[in-house]
Amino acid sequence: MKTPSEENHDLIRWLDDEMTVGERRAFEANWQSDPELAAEAESMRWLSERIKAHLPAEIPVPHADFFNSQIQARIAQMEVDDARERAETAASTSSRFLWLRLPWLAGAAAAALAIVGLVWTQSGSSGCSTILSTYTPNPSMKAQVIEHVDAVATVLLLEGLDPIPAEKKVVGFHVHHAESDAEVATTTLFDENGAVLAVVALNAQGQPQMLK
Amino acid sequence: MSAAPAATDPVEQQLDVDLVIRSQAGDTRAFDLLVTRYRSRIYAMTYHLVRNDTEAWDLAQEAFIKAWRALPNFKQDAAFYTWLYRIAHNVTCDWLRKKKIQGDGEFDDEHTNHRAMPGSRTMPQGFDTPDRAIKRQELGQRIDQAIARLSVDHRQAVMLREIEGLSYEEMAEVMGCSLGTVMSRLFYARKKLQEMLKDTYENPI
Repeated sequence: MKTPSEENHDLIRWLDDEMTVGERRAFEANWQSDPELAAEAESMRWLSERIKAHLPAEIPVPHADFFNSQIQARIAQMEVDDARERAETAASTSSRFLWLRLPWLAGAAAAALAIVGLVWTQSGSSGCSTILSTYTPNPSMKAQVIEHVDAVATVLLLEGLDPIPAEKKVVGFHVHHAESDAEVATTTLFDENGAVLAVVALNAQGQPQMLK
Repeated sequence: MSAAPAATDPVEQQLDVDLVIRSQAGDTRAFDLLVTRYRSRIYAMTYHLVRNDTEAWDLAQEAFIKAWRALPNFKQDAAFYTWLYRIAHNVTCDWLRKKKIQGDGEFDDEHTNHRAMPGSRTMPQGFDTPDRAIKRQELGQRIDQAIARLSVDHRQAVMLREIEGLSYEEMAEVMGCSLGTVMSRLFYARKKLQEMLKDTYENPI
């Protein structure tokens, strides 16, 4: 004798045409002696047909063109993000630049920026900033610029500095682009969000000075 | 029976294969064509599950984005639409789990004004008189309301079977459960619908 669960499954399998021919015949033969089962089967069949008729398998997407264009835009953005991530990963794993992760060196370099005082930058045709020249007030110091295109990194290497105490926290910044105003002889440095990082001008002696 | 939710026409299937290969090579234009081919079906699926236009739209988008991400790993051992459908189903179910949507939630009539696409395999055949058309619409709304009141598991079972025409084996795979559970969910989902729509059966609209 079948359990109630098995009987329920038989009804479902009959309804969904998941029975073999033999199983189907045997199931339908029971209807003669079990009118309740026959009524149940008929009721479920009626319901199944109505559901199929009323629930569409396809519904037009509202604003279909925008739907597609949004997907394309998101894919494009993902490609950009992936490329940036790959570049950052390459930069962080490259042994050539591993030394940059040493805390005291990073601190020294960042602190040196304040000492160097001026970094002339110019926006290139690619939209990236290029350091054209550097100035060090202390003649015993030497500044060197290293650009790494693949890593999207620019390193300012300074020689002749005193070591920075390890406990000193120094936060660096990333110059995204610069704008020069010839009229007032200033150069403004911006970060990637467009915020002003520093404003540099020449004083009466022709020496650079930080205005901000 | 297995009316697998994929392109069954060999020419259409080959077109899918070609578009997938181009997409895997990074051709976003080819992927855009795949989106256009299947967006209505994926959107219908997400809509039937979440019962909300905006959420269904976002989830359908998310499904296509995830598919793009996963395309390099797609071996074409299944039809593209079947594979895409599973992604969309998982995206939607994850969202439902997070939102903890329950079947006894309130139903919003504003979200039931969709119509089947002309030519859709579920489109009723023939023409209705105005009176009959209104009655059919009323029945459609009653069915919508009843399905919206099912639990998520039961709603999924009804959708996968009645709308997408998946076999029990395919349903078990998509839902991540046994064949016995598939049949039990189908049975109890239909029993609940039967109770909620009893009057329309006894006094046909």
